[in-house]
Amino acid sequence: MSAEFHDPLKGFDTTIHAPNRLRICALLDAAGEAEFGLVQKQLDLSASALSKHVTVLMDAGYVEQRKAVRDTRQRVWLRLTRRGRDAYQGHLAALRAIVGPSDPAL
Amino acid sequence: METHGVRLTPEQARSALADTEHIRASAAALSATPWPNWFFITLTLYVAALPVIYGGVMADGDWLLPRPAWMTIMLTSTAVYLALFAVAAKAWRNKTGVALRLDVLPKRATVPLMVGLPVLLVGAAFAFRVTGRPVWLIAASLISAAASVGFHLAFVHLHRKTA
Repeated sequence: MSAEFHDPLKGFDTTIHAPNRLRICALLDAAGEAEFGLVQKQLDLSASALSKHVTVLMDAGYVEQRKAVRDTRQRVWLRLTRRGRDAYQGHLAALRAIVGPSDPAL
Repeated sequence: METHGVRLTPEQARSALADTEHIRASAAALSATPWPNWFFITLTLYVAALPVIYGGVMADGDWLLPRPAWMTIMLTSTAVYLALFAVAAKAWRNKTGVALRLDVLPKRATVPLMVGLPVLLVGAAFAFRVTGRPVWLIAASLISAAASVGFHLAFVHLHRKTA
């Protein structure tokens, strides 16, 4: 029987690490699914900046979108994919490993 | 520390984690937005009426109304409740901009509710059937209504606390 050593730093994800993308993932992870306009407002991002980051996350397979009509206008809802959720959790684990195990605040 | 070509100090990592925690807290506040008052009242009336209706359905013989009438009331009220729930859920999602989640409150609060309410409903109706005393149904009705009010107030508190 062998004990496998799992290096948490391996979960560090450069796609997620860009500050705004990390914040987008944090919001989607906590909210489950969020409307594009709400994400924009909560993170204080322009529509074009958010769109750019969402495209990167979608290309990586981390985020998926759903379109729904509300008040005759089309709204986009964003959510993390299973892969995106795993990558985000792995990235958080890597950040915690960098901080160190002794930090009581994290 | 260098990770995948990115240099990151423990302070930067700590700052990134603190930022995600801040965002998580603001998203939690949105997820804890209470139901609109009209639906809270609807829900409370429904859960308060359900033990009495169920008691009527399970009664040994006709009680106040014929059994088919109780059955019709139960099916109709449940259908109306589900339709109003769908309307309220859609309005809630449009208002908050986040998904409706059932895991916002801690499990120590929700698990007893999920187990306790069905037990209360069936238990009270069964006790009424055996004893013929409607006090069981009235007590179950009051407890259900109190649980509904309690959970609503918990959401209000959580929403204010995390906002």
